[in-house]
Amino acid sequence: MRNRMLRTASVLIIATVVALSMAVLVAQTPSAKPAPSGKQALPSTTTDPEEAIKAAADAFKKETSLKAYVVPKTPWGDPDLRGVWNTATYTRLQRPEELGNKAFYTEEEAIAEYKKAAESDAEVDPRTVHYDWKEYAMDAWQGGTRPNLRTSLIVSPENGRLPPLVAEAQQRRQAAAAANRQRDPAVGIKTFGNLYTRCVLGLGALPLVRGGMPGADSAAAAAGVTAEAFFFQSPGYLTIVMQSNNDVRIIPTNGSPHVPSQVRTWLGDSRGHWEGNTLVVESTNFNSKEPATNFLGSTDQLTIVERFTRVGPNTMRYEYTVTDPKTWTRPWSVDTTMPRVDPSLIYEFACHEQNYGLINVVTGTQIRERDGTRDLRGFGARGDN
Amino acid sequence: MRIGLTAFSALVVAAVISATAVTGQGQAPPAGRQGQPAAAAAPRPAAAPAARTEDGKPNFNGIWQALGTANFNIEAHNAEPGPHPEILGAWGAEPGGMGIVEGGTIPYKPEALRKKQDNFKNRTLVKVTNDPHRFDTGDPEIQCYRPGVPRANYMPFPFQIFQNRDQILIVYEYKGSMRTVFMDKHQDAPVDSWMGWSNGRWEGDTLVIDVTGFNGHQWLDRAGNFFTDTAHVVERWTRRDADHLNYEATIEDPATYTRPWKISFPIYRRVEPNAQLVEFNCVPFVEEMMYAPIGLYNPPNRSSR
Repeated sequence: MRNRMLRTASVLIIATVVALSMAVLVAQTPSAKPAPSGKQALPSTTTDPEEAIKAAADAFKKETSLKAYVVPKTPWGDPDLRGVWNTATYTRLQRPEELGNKAFYTEEEAIAEYKKAAESDAEVDPRTVHYDWKEYAMDAWQGGTRPNLRTSLIVSPENGRLPPLVAEAQQRRQAAAAANRQRDPAVGIKTFGNLYTRCVLGLGALPLVRGGMPGADSAAAAAGVTAEAFFFQSPGYLTIVMQSNNDVRIIPTNGSPHVPSQVRTWLGDSRGHWEGNTLVVESTNFNSKEPATNFLGSTDQLTIVERFTRVGPNTMRYEYTVTDPKTWTRPWSVDTTMPRVDPSLIYEFACHEQNYGLINVVTGTQIRERDGTRDLRGFGARGDN
Repeated sequence: MRIGLTAFSALVVAAVISATAVTGQGQAPPAGRQGQPAAAAAPRPAAAPAARTEDGKPNFNGIWQALGTANFNIEAHNAEPGPHPEILGAWGAEPGGMGIVEGGTIPYKPEALRKKQDNFKNRTLVKVTNDPHRFDTGDPEIQCYRPGVPRANYMPFPFQIFQNRDQILIVYEYKGSMRTVFMDKHQDAPVDSWMGWSNGRWEGDTLVIDVTGFNGHQWLDRAGNFFTDTAHVVERWTRRDADHLNYEATIEDPATYTRPWKISFPIYRRVEPNAQLVEFNCVPFVEEMMYAPIGLYNPPNRSSR
């Protein structure tokens, strides 16, 4: 979280303070009932981050070493994927280059990395924003993520890095960087690419796990709040409802074909089929609405194939392969896990309905552009990088 | 613990969301659409939906839609030219209808009736502020806000019911709004919301859903009918036959009405072999309307409209 804040802080300091004071006002409106969170006792395992991390690592090891795990079935006979799964991770999407082809940390290294990431995630500079969880009587680490021995989410290519860009993608990126170096006094929501700030999409509905902090790739979602994916299964369907923005993916598993190619949507068109205990989901038909981009700057030629497999009572293996011939020179793949979250429910996330933040962010950006005070080496006026 | 974080999110994160996230990368030029493999034209396997689920309950799984004009006005109403005949002509006109209110009239208290009439006058008013006055405006639908219950059930969009024994998920095409109906673990609404908190139970073959915890910003239609945050809605869903449901809802709100009152209408199964919800993410559709007047869509001196 800190890295994110540092990158955006220069533009957003004032806006954020205003946004937060508004949030407090809203919370104090008489009709707003207090959230139950304030009354929740913290499980004692989370009071010491180091101990909690070790306990989580042990539990995870025990869970994934279950030899004879029998995947439960739904009443209608499909493997049972139901529940809320945590999509946050501190494992980076891309492996640090200095690690070469080292795919796994030792246990000690993994715990040390995890601890560093968790502490960094929780800490922020209180002069910029009050997002330090510890200010809310929470611990540095209680997000439900688990240590992972992997040095990167990416398992293919072998170096754990995104493959090289194709020429046209390099040109797109150079053009975007060049635009970012220009002052943009015409900045407004019309040219504002950031779908999350605009409440068009939440964080990470597809793919679900994108890589963690710190030192994560620029587009990585934080390991933090609202990283829950609610899996609701019914005959012929898996429906995923994200806590973040309540994005909904309805995935038919009944053999029906993709929608016609002219039907394009933000979340694409997902179709699933079972291969043994694994649900394989192919997503295509993504739209292309400049200045927004698709996942990691990809285009409407993006295809994502996900594989969901229960490997323990509380663990879902989650693999995905990303293909976009207009962006990467070859497909690349991720292999990770998602832990179960209890209880099995999510809350309404009415983002657009009270998107005070957008007003503040765009106002602040306009001021910086007109004043010429935006650091041209940093965050772009368009908010999309 | 996740209760803690998610409930915390529900109150605070929406308000501060934009300050925290910077995702996505470089800007891409519009991409062509060639290369998309044409989907095979094979029809969906024609499995007739079973009348009952494995646990013997009526099976509501499927894609459903109400017909009619209740979203314009749940009371009986004439055809009207709509708010902008000068630009929209017959496109913007509103068909007449017989209404869905049993007995024909909503039993408003006098003050509430005046509010309803003001609502109608201001129905297209859009106000974007940084405080709760943001909601002293026209119809939430025009700004792509969640529609609440029961309105979501009679908007002119399909919705899909996904049924389990302990939870029922309803996803509405409009805005992708959703609600979970809790069949086993009932609790009071933990926080106010647009779609309310739904506790469900079976009374024989009728699905009865108790909806409370509204935030008080809901309208029932474009005519300005409304309730407040003390509203209590009891829905009754019954299978009429394989492709039709009977729906009724009792609406109680002592702050607004002199007595509880009822709406009822049929709901139809979308029987087309390729019927499905098509993403209707209306946020981008309302940004110019909402943010241009305060200079945040195009800056005022650079308007290219």
